[in-house]
Order: sequence, then structure tokens, then C-alpha cells
Amino acid sequence: MPVLEGKELRIVGFLCNWCSYGGADAAGVGRAVQPTDLRIIRVPCSGRVDPIFIVKALLNGADGVLVSGCHPRDCHYSAGNFYARRRLEVLKQFLPVLGIDEARFEYTWVGASEAQLWQHVVTTFTNRVHALGKAPRFDAVEPLLKIADMALTALRPLGTGKNAALPKLKEAIKAKLPELECVIGWQQGYDEARTVPLFARTPQDVDKFVWGPFNVNNPAVYLPTFRGKKVGIVVKGCDARSVVELLQENLISREDVILFAMPCEGTLDMARIGEKLGRYTTVDAVVCDEASITITADGKEHRFCMADFAQGKCYGCATPLAALSDVSFGAPVDVKPVSATPPELALLDSLSLPERMSFWRGQMGKCLRCYACRNACPMCVCRDYCVSDSRDPHWMSQLADEREKLFFQTVHAFHLAGRCTGCGECQRACPVGIPILALRQQIGRVIEQLFESYKAGTDPAAAPPLLTYMPQEKNIHERGWK
Amino acid sequence: MKTTVAYYPGCSAHGFSVDYEKSTQAVCGALGIRLNDIPDWNCCGSTPAHAVDTELSAALCVRNLDNAVKADANELLTPCPSCLSNLRHAAKRMEDPRFRARVDELLDNPAPAVFPEVISVMQGIARRFDANALAERVKKPLKPLRLATYYGCLMSRPAEIMDFGDPENPTLMESMLTACGAEVVDFPLKTVCCGASFGIPERAVTARLSGRILALAADMRADALVVACPLCQMNLDLRQKQAEHAADAIFAMPVLYFTQAMGLALGVPPGRLGIEKLRVNANGLIDKIEAAASGSTAPVEGSRP
Amino acid sequence: MRIGVFICHCGSNIGGTVDCAKVAEKAALFPDVVYATDPMYTCAEPGQATIESAIAEYRLDGIVVASCSPRMHEPTFRRTVERAGLNRYMLEMANIREHVSWIGKDVESNTNKAAELVAIAVAKLRGNTPLHSKSFEVNKRVLVIGGGVAGIQAALDCADGDIPVVLVEREATIGGKMAKLDKTFPTVDCSACIVGPKMVDVAQHPLIALYALSEVEEISGYVGNFTVKIRKRAPYVDWDKCTGCGACSVKCPSKKTPDAFNEFTGVTTAIKVAFPQAIPKKAVITAAHCRQMSRGKCGVCAKVCPTGAVNYDMEDVIVTEEVGSIVAATGYDLMDWTVYKEYGAGRYPDVITSLQYERLLSGSGPTCGHIRRPSDGREPRIIVFIQCVGSRDRSIGRPQCSGFCCMYTAKQAVLTKDHLPESQSYVFYMDIRAPGKMYDEFTRRAVEEYGVEYVRGRVSCVYPDGKGAYSVMGVDTLLGRPVEITADLIVLAVGIEGSRGAGELAEKLRISYDNCGFFMESHVKLKPVETNTIGVFLAGVCQGARDIPASVAQGSATAAKVLGLFARDRLENDPQIACVDMRRCVACGKCVRCCPFGAIEEVSVRDEQKAHVIETVCQGCGLCAATCPQGAVQLAHSTDNQILAEVNTLCRY
Repeated sequence: MPVLEGKELRIVGFLCNWCSYGGADAAGVGRAVQPTDLRIIRVPCSGRVDPIFIVKALLNGADGVLVSGCHPRDCHYSAGNFYARRRLEVLKQFLPVLGIDEARFEYTWVGASEAQLWQHVVTTFTNRVHALGKAPRFDAVEPLLKIADMALTALRPLGTGKNAALPKLKEAIKAKLPELECVIGWQQGYDEARTVPLFARTPQDVDKFVWGPFNVNNPAVYLPTFRGKKVGIVVKGCDARSVVELLQENLISREDVILFAMPCEGTLDMARIGEKLGRYTTVDAVVCDEASITITADGKEHRFCMADFAQGKCYGCATPLAALSDVSFGAPVDVKPVSATPPELALLDSLSLPERMSFWRGQMGKCLRCYACRNACPMCVCRDYCVSDSRDPHWMSQLADEREKLFFQTVHAFHLAGRCTGCGECQRACPVGIPILALRQQIGRVIEQLFESYKAGTDPAAAPPLLTYMPQEKNIHERGWK
Repeated sequence: MKTTVAYYPGCSAHGFSVDYEKSTQAVCGALGIRLNDIPDWNCCGSTPAHAVDTELSAALCVRNLDNAVKADANELLTPCPSCLSNLRHAAKRMEDPRFRARVDELLDNPAPAVFPEVISVMQGIARRFDANALAERVKKPLKPLRLATYYGCLMSRPAEIMDFGDPENPTLMESMLTACGAEVVDFPLKTVCCGASFGIPERAVTARLSGRILALAADMRADALVVACPLCQMNLDLRQKQAEHAADAIFAMPVLYFTQAMGLALGVPPGRLGIEKLRVNANGLIDKIEAAASGSTAPVEGSRP
Repeated sequence: MRIGVFICHCGSNIGGTVDCAKVAEKAALFPDVVYATDPMYTCAEPGQATIESAIAEYRLDGIVVASCSPRMHEPTFRRTVERAGLNRYMLEMANIREHVSWIGKDVESNTNKAAELVAIAVAKLRGNTPLHSKSFEVNKRVLVIGGGVAGIQAALDCADGDIPVVLVEREATIGGKMAKLDKTFPTVDCSACIVGPKMVDVAQHPLIALYALSEVEEISGYVGNFTVKIRKRAPYVDWDKCTGCGACSVKCPSKKTPDAFNEFTGVTTAIKVAFPQAIPKKAVITAAHCRQMSRGKCGVCAKVCPTGAVNYDMEDVIVTEEVGSIVAATGYDLMDWTVYKEYGAGRYPDVITSLQYERLLSGSGPTCGHIRRPSDGREPRIIVFIQCVGSRDRSIGRPQCSGFCCMYTAKQAVLTKDHLPESQSYVFYMDIRAPGKMYDEFTRRAVEEYGVEYVRGRVSCVYPDGKGAYSVMGVDTLLGRPVEITADLIVLAVGIEGSRGAGELAEKLRISYDNCGFFMESHVKLKPVETNTIGVFLAGVCQGARDIPASVAQGSATAAKVLGLFARDRLENDPQIACVDMRRCVACGKCVRCCPFGAIEEVSVRDEQKAHVIETVCQGCGLCAATCPQGAVQLAHSTDNQILAEVNTLCRY
């Protein structure tokens, strides 16, 4: 719809029927003069507003979006706006990572009798959007390609796990096997430098278990499919967090899963290794010493130090041994967690807003919409009913244009808010190497800042922050409209 | 163990409340606290300055705070509640960048970003000596005395700025005097106005207000009022005769600075505490303390029954 | 679809700044629109007739009316389209009056905006489907929580309407605060004498089941079908055997039990009947102060009880009741006035609350109605009443007026003069609120006939004057002078707040409450008895300050609402509710967790767990729809697709 050229910008409003829509009506009754840009969509409750509506609007032509509901504690449906407050604040702090100015989105609380406040809100917000100008169109900015600097120091010495108690682990698994449907872990893949998931059902299967720096997959992704059956799973520290998060959400039950754990010494970033190896036909041999591996491919030797080629998440890892386990070998490693920005997110932090938008345009240009990221994510349980390829509800088309692809990534990141454990499988699975982990890291960072250092997958009894609320939030304050 | 702390004496310290200054120095000395006057201090502006121009008032105070910073002080003690109030108010107002900019124009150099914390001498002692530590140093307990503590209006108000405990019912002086062995009464008028500077233009007001305080102390059979402010002390002690006249009563109520009371407890000779400057004679109190210290239980002549 | 669009002029209200004809022209070109026109007054009879005839003539199956706010006329137009044979939900409205024509005068912008709002209404309508209400059975029993005068009235009126009532009261006796009052204004009737007969009626009514000394533990279900768990606390006396004779309290040796019924103005025995007219008239043991129960040494009451009713081993019992509707009548408590340090913060024994004074005035109180100072038991001569202690005070977050204190202070001052003819009372007030029938006459009598001195001003300080009395420092603003009174007794009219535990109960009832614990009504002006949860009603002070006549009236009002709710055997629900597409549901449980009303349950369908919306509980907020990641649960009439249609119409890159 063309916007009244030169006079108006496209501002979309979502107003709750009971308070804010009434407030807007009251402003009209009082003949309170307001700028005309705003187009109001009526919803029953501010809690009805899925944050993805706002992203959809902002990516498709809205220059500003305003959400308004009842004052917290006055919600017509008791708690709708408590949830809205959390979700919309998370969205507001997430938008800048996409290159969208968070000032273009605002949420506010206006009561049915607050005519003057409504006039003030509309006027202030419209003026603010006009000052920001027309929003940049995502598929019109110049693409910008940049690579994250992965040179990091690890919090603990990284190794190859060559001296891990693998034989003992296998014995323990065999002992439990009779009562289990299967035990999920890793086995060697098509060559010694690859592993693939293993679903061990017999003692012979168990012998195939491997443990080392190539165990990059997160086996927790398979657990929801075994719902109702008792299974075992071998976990690294990061994998166990996914299991805990699944427990937090009641997607699996504690009685139905046996966790086998050993302290992980780090896994390799196979993408960077692949780059260094270049083109080759066969992997002749893989030799591990304590802290590095040597891959001989087509006769040529390549040595990779764990300290230089580990996955990004391994450097900042403070939980190498699963915090939750039933059978555990190896001493717990005491690592002091240090608050540091992961490399992918640090790259985005260093870019300006327009640069970020250009960055994502460039990256989304590479995306094939293969959904490997979604399928590798242990928290993605929607499977075949994912909104990204559904026509009812019809959130997005199947067009492979950059805007739709970025929209899908935003939906995925938002659906993971408060649930993502940072396992990085999404990025690892991406066949074209897009640093999509940065979006999840940003949403994780926002959750940590807003909800007192909340980390998903640490406490099985904790409620994911966006599925709960507090009547008075510590870190989300009523916005003063000055 | 000796500690040194920055000190802002204030104008009346060398004038009409020289006994407060003497006793403050003596008590701090006895406790091993060395008070270092900040160099080149000026008047804080007291009541007239802030009533006329808040920026000028702030500038006067900020100049003192700047000198304190230059003297490497991160804590600044002052005995007078009015100085305390002005200095703290100035520091608070300087948090507003526009106010700060205007005040900076009045100063030789821009004010420092961070000011030292300004507290009263009372708080400065209490921070370093808790009740037990004080009690250990008491040589002549104030045990026979029944004291009424009077803070005055400024010490604890406004609550957000002065940070001096409960604005209606502060109890710091009580705990310190109790540690010195005294019996302290729950004096309800401890923060009610004494008449302040109305003693000059509206003498009758001061006489009435101070009179009420003295009357209640007398009715509660207090041996003395203990104060922490030079102006309060003046209204209650120097003008006690005027108050008696207005109320047509006799109070005969000694009014001591808390530093004088503490000094006596710490064994400082009364001469070093300026006791002789008190208009209403406090010798009876001293005799009582001495008698108790020496173990005598005979009633002392001239003391309150 | 075949959509008809009607752009209303509303006289010059819209037509004055919006070119309605032009909007209709544009609308005629929108997708699926086959007819567009611009009537002058669409809501009037001729206007509605235009819609009905257009539906018939043009075979329309959906209507968009662009006019005033849907909050005004959506019900009107829904009925119009229904009369013409369409489902009432095949109507959408565009608000081009309150949101367009009335907030600006630029015709070009307004016309453009109106056309866009019509476009999004059309886009939404294209996604609408007919919705039909469902009906469900109703359990015609009511739960009344709170046995004060409002709850008593509600219970009696419901029971008289042949509705069985379950009345739950937290204290050992019903009667609430009214049972503690000596006399009531403005008639100076004896409170216990007027509420007593009502209490007896409750006890004797065959349709009222009274649970005293009980509290609501848990509530589940929905209107027409609530399941309530009630905790009957142990009185340590078998009430089936107890006759209320009182022999136990005569002999009880533990005489220093703090007396809660008398507002802690005195002490009493560990076992007692709450007060002489208590209903139920049964004894209760305060375990913490009972020597037998705390130390194992006594047992006198068990020995002297003629029916052997005392039982030290009793335990709490949980009972379950099923009801169709709930009335909350939990009343109030006085706020914690000790925040007022200037009045002594509770240190001074002769500074008491109005409710404590009421007990001193009462013949069944700790002093048998003789007014005595708590400190020394002497009769006071000068009594000072201070109004608004904890009301109308923003500095402590209590800006509201407590409604009845001006009246009861006048009453207490009048009674004081009756009890102590030589006394003099002073009342410090800010304003006198005496709006009811004969109220202002009553306060005037206090001044003119009983010689009560009313001083307009606040009290800044109350302190003991060292001679056994108190100095009250206040101000007389009408004379412009400070005032100082030497008083023997000071009575504070303390502000009220929702009853202790109101917030927790509100959460069980799934209703809102404010920061003073008062429950929120549906609409402050027009729906003062309903809450936002269907089937839960409010009576009395639990909703906000009011006096006894208003509480009684509201009790009857809730009974009317309950009787109206139960007038039919089946209820119809609002079809704008959520529904789960079970094919898409993966039973992740997020919607179940988030629903504020507990309206979603997990069910087993063909051996798979799925979410299911309980149609009668769902209030239609849509939180579940916003929570479900794959859009399996949708809110009818506000589905993702419908909202997306509106967004996509506006944002069309």
C-alpha cells in the first residue's frame, strides 16, 4: 500500500481491545489532534501479539511499529500483558543485531481513560519515526561479507580426549542396555575424521562408540522422537544442557533417559579444518596426541592444535562434564566461567546498524533454505509443522529471497529465546557457513541481561523466562514518555 | 591505632561554638582519630546562601569539596549539621549535568567528578568504633546520668540526602551514649525544631519552641540534654533564661554537646572540653560522674534528685 | 467471497473531514468487494435496513462497516447481519471516526487513512469464518467466600432463590467486621443486634452449608463447573458435640492468650467461643497458647466439657465442593499504621486504632464497654480522633479514601460522649465525607449536639508529655494556627486495604487485584459486581471502600447475577475462543503453561498427547496462540492468518 508520499510514514499499531483501543477512542472523543500515520490493528490482548508480527511488519515496509496494552496488573485477562512485557522487551533488544533500529519499535501501556496519554504517545512516536526517516529496505542494501575472528583463548586446556575412560564407559552402557530402547552416541563416519550418530541396540553396536574431538553432533536432538520409550544417551557437557532444557520443557521425562557422561576436552571446528585441508580424495590416517590431531589426507600431513581449531563454543565452555548425569566417568573439571562475548556476536557488535543489515543481506544471499539449522537444533520439536513451511498459518512464502530467509532466521531465533543453550549445532550444520549462531547468541545475551543471568539448560526445575512472568520485573521498567 | 581523616570545622567552630570544637578535637584525640582541616576552606553558606541562590550556595560548598579532593580525602567529617546538610545537598545537585555546568562557571576550575562522602563527626566516630569498642575505652561511665538526646531538625532530614537513619526517630546518639554508660530516655521531641535562627528576628518563637523541649526534658527527669548542633545548643543553653521567662518556669537543664558528654566518659579533663563555657552550669553532672567513678554512693550536693 | 462495504458519514462527524464517497469508490476495487456505498447514518434504522437489503440483493456473505468504534456498535451491526441471515462474525468494522475524522482535519490524509483502514478490514474479513456458540451444563450451586455482612446477604438471597450455598469463612465465626462494631452509623443501632439475626438465618437455612474456621485451598474448573478444595482447620473441639455452653473457657487456666477478636486490646483464654453471638456458637482452641497442646499439661476443658467435645488430636480436613459460581466477599483489614512514626509507630499504648476503640466501646469487649486507657486503666477525659491515617496519602502509596472513617469517627465521638459525659473529644479531619442517607445530619449532630470539636487540619506529631498524657501537635487550617492538645487517648481512623491474603485468593480465582489487595471489577462504572472471570462475582469491601448498606446491596446484587446465570439449565459460551489443531500440536506444553485461566489441558488422542482447549474456561485472550511456535492453537476471529492479512495489507514490499 503506498504511503501518502512525503507526508506520512508507515506506522503500524497493535492495540489491545480493552484498554488501549479504548484509550485511543477516548482520545478521539476528546478530539485530541494526532498525526495521521498510525494504522491500528485491534487484538484482544497485548499478550496476543506474537513478536513475529512486529518483525514481519518491519521487514516488509513498516517504518515504525507500536504495541499498546493495559497497564501491568490491570490486564483484562489477568496476565496477558505480563507475558507481553517480557516478550516485547526481548524483541526490542534483539532487533539491533539485525540492523534494525530498536527505536522503530515501541511498546507502551495506555488505559481506556487515558486519552491525553494516548495522544502524547502517538505524537511522540510518530515524530520519533519521522526523525529516523524511512526505514532501510532489507533487500535493497549493499551486501557486506565479513568473517568472525575465531582466535580465542580457552578457559581450560583443550585436548583430544585420547585418555578418556572409553572402555569403562562402554562396559557401563552394555550393563544398562537391556532395559533401554537404544543408547545414542557417536561412531566413526565415512572416514576417521568424521563421526555420525550411533543408535546402539546390541553390545556389538556399543563397541562402535568413539570419543574424541570429532564428536561434534549433539545427540540430544534425537531424544524427543523417543518420547515414551526409555533411552540412554552419551553426552558432552554442552549436550547435557540440551537434555536439561528438554526436561525443563517436559518434552522428555527424567525417568525415560539415562545420561552417560565423560569430561569433554573440546571438539573441532570441521568447517575451518575443511578449509585448511582443501580438496582431497581420501583421509589416510588420523593420529591424536594429547592436544592436537594430525590428519593425513592424500598423503599430506596436516596438524591441527585443539587450541587453535576448536569450535567457538569450546573456548568459553565452563561445563565440560555434564552437570546432570546418571553414569559418569572422569573427574569433574573446575572451570571458572568468564563472561565474554562469543566471536560471532563480537563481530556483529563491532558493526554499525547499517553495516549489520548489509552483513545479513550478504549472508542470506548464501542461504539455500535447506533448514539444516532447524533440523539440527535439539529444541526444535515442531518438525513437520514448522511455521516456516506451513500454509496455515501462512507466515512466510517459500520464496528464496533474502527477506524471507532472514525472517525465517528471526523466527527461529525468537522461538529459541530463553531456550537456546548455545550448542551451536545450527551453525555447524549450515552447509554454506553462515554465522547464524550470532542471532541465537544475541537473544541468549538479552535473556541473560533481563532475567538475572538466566542460562537455559542449567536447572531442570527452572521455568523458561518467556513462559512465565513476574508482576514486578527487576529489569524491565515502565517506559516514561518524556 | 591512629587514623587521620579530613575535617571541615565550619565557621562557628572558631566562634560561638568553640567549646564544641574543643570537645570534638579532644574526643577524637582520645579515640586516636586525627582531624585534618582541609586547606583553605570557606564558609558553607549556611542558611542565607541557599535561601538566596542555590548555585552560589553549591559553588561555596563545592569549592570546599574540591579542596578536600585535592587533599586526597575520600571521607570528610564535619560537626555542624547545617554544614553537613549544605555540603551533601551540593554534592547531590551536582549530579545534574546542567546544574554542574552552571556551578563550574563560578569556580576557578571545574569541579571534580567524584566528591568525598561528607558525614557528621558522630557518624565518623560510630563507623570506626562500635558500641563495644567505645565501651572498652570508657574510663568514667556516665552511669548515674539520665540523658535526653536532641538531634535538631537538620541532622536526619531530608532522609534521602542525609542518610542518617530514621528521619523521625534517629538513634545513633543514644547508642553511643549508652555505650558510655548513660541511661538514655526515649525523648519524643528529639527532631522537633528549637527555633533555629529565629532567635534574632522572632525571639518569642525560639523561646517557645526551645522552652517546650526543655520542659519535656525536665518532665522526663533528664539530668541533661545532649545536642549535636551549635545553633540548637545556643537556643537551648544560652537562651534558656528567655525560655524560662516565656514559660514562667525553671528548667535548670544543662545542655551539653555529645562530644562533651563522651569526652567526660573517656576521661578527658573537663577543662579541655570547654565545659566552663556552658551558660547553664554542668558542674553537678561532673560531680556525679566523678563520684560514681570513685565508688562513692553518697548524694552529691546541688545535683538533681 | 462477496463483500459489501458501508462507509458511514455519521452526519458531519465523519463526513466533515473524510470524503466518504471517495473511500467507497476505492473500496469497490478491493479484492472480493462487490458492493460499496456511503450511507449517512448506518446505525440508525434506515441505515441498518440498507445493509440488510444489500445482503439480500447482492447475495453478500460478508460486511465491512466503516464508522465509529467497534467498541460502540459492533454488537449492533452483528445483530443486523444476523437478522439478514448471515453469521454474526462475518462482519468487520473500520474505526474512521474516533481514530480518523475526530483527530485531524486534513481531508486528503483522512480519506487516505480511512481507505487503508477499510482495506485492512476487508483483508481480515476475507479470512473470517462463521462461528457458533456451544452450550454446556451448569451446576446450580454457589460458593460464597467470606461471612461478613456482604457474604451473608449474598448467601441468604441465593438460598432464598433455591440455590444451595456453600459459605466459607476464615474466622471461627461469621459476622466479619460488623460483628466487632459496637453501634453503626447513622442510626446508632447495635451492630450485633442487627447482624445477629442474619447470622442466625444463615445457620438455620437448610440450603446454606457453613464452613467456619475454613479457607479455600484450591479452585479449578470453569463457570458452571468449578471444583473447590476447602481446608477446614482444626478447632480441636468436635463441633458436632459442642453446645457452646462456655464451661470450658470459664475453667481454662491459660488466660494470657492474645485476643484477636478484640483486636489485641486485651487477653483471653486459650479455649473460647469467639463472642457471645457467634455463629457457629462453638468453642475453638488457640493451639499455641493452650497448655495441653503446647506443653502437655492441663486438659481441664476436656474434663469439664459436658459433652466430651474437646479433642486435642484433631487435624485439618480437606473437603471438595462442586459449584457453578463463586462470590468473593472477603472484606478488608486495617493497614499497618505503624509506618506513621510521628504517631509513635505503636510504641505508645494509648494511641489505638478505631477498631480497637470499637472493642473498648462494646459491651462484649475487654472492658465491658467502659472506656479505659490501655496504659493505666483510667477513664480518659480528652480524646483526640485523627482521621485519614493511611488514607489519601500518596507519600506511603495510599492515595485512596477509605470511605467510612468520617462517619464512624463521628459515631465514636458521639458514643464517647454518651459513655463519658465529662469528656471532650476532638476530631482532626481533612474533609468530611458524609454522602449517604442521613449521614451529613449525623455528623452535624456530633458537632452541634454532642459538642465534638472538629479541627480541620492534620496532626504532625503525637508524643508522651512526660506527665502521663500525650501532646498532640496539629494545625487548624481554618483559623490558620497551630493547635496543641493534651490528650489522654488518641484514636486513629486507620485506612483500609484488602483482607490479609487477598492477593493469593485472587490468583486462585484468576481475577485481578490492585496494589492494596482490592479485587478488580469488570468495569468500574458499569460492571461493579462482575470480574473478568466469568462466574466470579464480588460483594462488599473486598472490591473497594463502602459502607454497610452498600455492602448489603452488593451482596444482593451478586445473588441476582448468580440467579441470572443459573436461570437456564445450559450456558452458551463466547465462540471467540482458542482451538487446537491436533494434527499440528506436538504437545510441547507451552500453551498449557502460559494460559492465565488454566483453560488448556493435555489429553490423550490415539495414544498421543495433545493440547485441548476447555471451551467454557477460555476467555479469548490469545496468549496461547502467541506462544505456540507452530501455530497449532489459534484464536477464533483473531487467527494468525487474519492478523497477517491486516499486516500484509499495510506492509507490502
